[in-house]
Amino acid sequence: MRRWLPIAVVAGIVVWVAALALLAVTAEGSQRYSQLQPWILLVNIAGVVVLLALIGGRLADFIRDWRRHVPGSRLRGRTILMFGGLAAAPLLLVFAFSVLFLTRGIDSWFHAEVRQGLTDALSLSRAALDLRMREYLDRSGAIAGGLAGLSGASLYAALDVELRRAGAEELVVTTAGGQPEGFSRAGMLHGLPGVPPDELLLQLRQGRPYVSLEPVEGGGYRITVATQIPGEPGLAAPRLLIATYPVPQRLADLATQVQAAYQEYGRLQFLREPLKLSFVLTLSLVLLTAVLAALYGALFFSQRLVQPVQDLIAGTRAVAKGDLDTQIQRPSHDEIGFLVTSFNDMTRRLARAREETERSRAAVEAERAALAVILARLTSGVISLEPDLRVRVANAAAGHILGVDFAQAAGMPLAELAARNRLLAQVHAVMQRHLESGETEWREQVTLRTDGGRRELVCASTALPGEGGAAGGLVLVFDEVTQLLQAQRQAAWGEVARRLAHEIRNPLTPIQLSAERMRRKLLRGLPPGEAELLERGTHTIVQQVEAMKQMVAAFSEYAKVPELHLSELDLAALIRQVSDLYHAQDPRVAFGLSLDPKAATLEADPGRIRQLLNNLLTNALEALDGRENPVIMIETKRAGDQIVLTVVDNGPGFQGGLMEQAFDPYVTTKPKGTGLGLAIVRRIVEEHGGRVEVDNAPQGGARIRITLPAAPREARRAEARREKA
Amino acid sequence: MHSMRWRRPGLACLAALLCAAAGAAAQAQDQGRFEVRNAYVERANGQWLLDVRLDLALAEAARQAFDEGVPLMLELEAEASVERRFLPSATVAEIERRWQLAYDAISQRYVVTDLADGEQETYGTQADALAALAHLPAIRIADEATLPPDARFGMRVRATVEIGELPAAIKMLLFWKSWSRSTDWYAWNVRP
Repeated sequence: MRRWLPIAVVAGIVVWVAALALLAVTAEGSQRYSQLQPWILLVNIAGVVVLLALIGGRLADFIRDWRRHVPGSRLRGRTILMFGGLAAAPLLLVFAFSVLFLTRGIDSWFHAEVRQGLTDALSLSRAALDLRMREYLDRSGAIAGGLAGLSGASLYAALDVELRRAGAEELVVTTAGGQPEGFSRAGMLHGLPGVPPDELLLQLRQGRPYVSLEPVEGGGYRITVATQIPGEPGLAAPRLLIATYPVPQRLADLATQVQAAYQEYGRLQFLREPLKLSFVLTLSLVLLTAVLAALYGALFFSQRLVQPVQDLIAGTRAVAKGDLDTQIQRPSHDEIGFLVTSFNDMTRRLARAREETERSRAAVEAERAALAVILARLTSGVISLEPDLRVRVANAAAGHILGVDFAQAAGMPLAELAARNRLLAQVHAVMQRHLESGETEWREQVTLRTDGGRRELVCASTALPGEGGAAGGLVLVFDEVTQLLQAQRQAAWGEVARRLAHEIRNPLTPIQLSAERMRRKLLRGLPPGEAELLERGTHTIVQQVEAMKQMVAAFSEYAKVPELHLSELDLAALIRQVSDLYHAQDPRVAFGLSLDPKAATLEADPGRIRQLLNNLLTNALEALDGRENPVIMIETKRAGDQIVLTVVDNGPGFQGGLMEQAFDPYVTTKPKGTGLGLAIVRRIVEEHGGRVEVDNAPQGGARIRITLPAAPREARRAEARREKA
Repeated sequence: MHSMRWRRPGLACLAALLCAAAGAAAQAQDQGRFEVRNAYVERANGQWLLDVRLDLALAEAARQAFDEGVPLMLELEAEASVERRFLPSATVAEIERRWQLAYDAISQRYVVTDLADGEQETYGTQADALAALAHLPAIRIADEATLPPDARFGMRVRATVEIGELPAAIKMLLFWKSWSRSTDWYAWNVRP
């Protein structure tokens, strides 16, 4: 269908142009195409209607685009105005001049001189023929005079003679009423003479001769003369002679031409205004057609011209929305085509670049996800900082170690976070110190002071590479080594204790036995004064050895690592039992118990927990020695899946820096203490998976807070599952 | 300044139609009487012949055109039809004849020419010429065998006067001008 459309359009245009040409030809009066005239006009009108329909459709599209502010519609409007104006202006000019020329030209045909000339020619022709008519009238009168009294054969004979002599075509003698009595003709004329016209008879009856010039079929003229035949008194009415004479060929031709010219002039005179109107209408139709064609051409070609621009705009918008698959069909091989090709190349390159970017982004995302997993799994704290020390990212371990919720801290200045957190403030201070000294790469063990004691962090900072050589920020990595150091310390002290016990315990017994043997062997043989000295000396040796044995036993206790036997333990009952025992030992001390029913039971080793309570209460009692109104408060509380045991006394509390070393072995302020009480407490707590903190109560006195998992085995299993996951 | 504006296009169209109708009525009064006064058919020498008489008065415009030298054309249309049961009538014969009336300025005579055979008659006065043109005798319609043998058929005739032989283009472009004028159909039934 679309293949035949151009052919149909071209054929339509050819037919239309032919119809216009024919209309122009027939408008001047040619009869040549008169039968085709309706069709010609119909084709022209159909062409105009088709053009109007096409223009209407395209104009409606254009107006709709204009109102909707479709890109390119303004440009198209200007193009239409330009094309239409350029085409219509000369057409209108030519039309105006043509109309003027035509009307003036047609008017010039009808000058008065022309009319007068034709009238004069007509008069001249008539005058020439009048001469001839008078001559024939005279000749006919003479013939009529010679026919008086003749009838029958003599009449026919006389008529034949007169016909030849006068050069007439026909001589007819009739009665007064027009009935033929005799006639003579030249040539091969057949039939009887016709009835003379009434006007002829009427005129003769009035006594006047009749002479008439009459046009003949096929051109030319003839002269008819009728006269009465005189000299026939016997008749009631005179007979008539009707003579017909030919007009000489030369004169007839000239007269015919003058008549034709005169008639044509009259016809043109009559058609003058219609002709002008016809020409103007034809011209107007041609003009209308041309203007409409120009307008349609302007609409059509403006669309063709603007279409690539609209395609480019649409393509640009599609690209702006992210559709990089947009490809525009190349409309031509000109500059617009080059532009379209460049646009298509650009979108293809953009698409490739986007694919590359997507791949890179996916890779980066994958790496970031892997890094996030690694960071999340790391037990070391990692904080990545922007060059201006804003937090870029921090892992969970960092938050756990420093007690900061970094989940919402991305983008926040580290200093702002440090202002809210004491631990982070200390780390920040160390980092600031290094930065102020120009160090970005540093490593340092930092001791953090907390309410619960000291914490040791090993911090390391590294500068990150940035883009284009710019600073890329810092990464701070830190590990808490408090427990590691304590474990190392405990291990060292355990080794010391074991060696001490081993090295000291062995010679103690021989010393004690030797001292007792010396006393037994020598006491009876010595004088009383020396015997008393010996007695005191050996007694002192035995006592000191005994004391040393106790000390060695304590060290052995600290050094050994017994196997835990976990079982359901009634912690409240145990606390009441131990506190009653100690209250019985020193009734002066008041025990205040605040035991949470929810923290009544605990999964623990009863013997170790009893030892823990003994050590705590022993320490407290020793601290309260000599104090007035000594009070020991024991409190248990359930906190989630943990049980918090707090023991507070109203003694002097921990002095100065002693608090930070409270759990180290051999750290004691008591004259008889071994300094192993709290160290053992800590070991027992850690064996149960808990933690212990010491501080001074606000009202004074030492406060020891022990946090133990209510079900350590279950806690371990849950932790194992988390690690496995 | 107030400008007049048609608020209702329908009223404007109606006014234009009324004006056109008034103009047409005035033109009709100016055109004079033109109709078929009498017509009949008869059989003669094995042929059906038609005789028509017209009331032929030229309108002023036609008379002016004629005086300018533009010939007048008279066209006669005649149809013979047979009625059929349950069907439209069938046309069994139809003719078209044309005559021309022209003024010969040399001879100062009016010439009536039968365009079918070129035969012409001349008259000294326009009235005689028109009188001759108003009576159209013995016009052959068809052979006797062509029409029903029982001589029962319908006839109708119509005459048209045109001002000269104008170019068809002019007639079509100036379609609103009354270039021609026709009588109504004059119909009758022929019975034996």
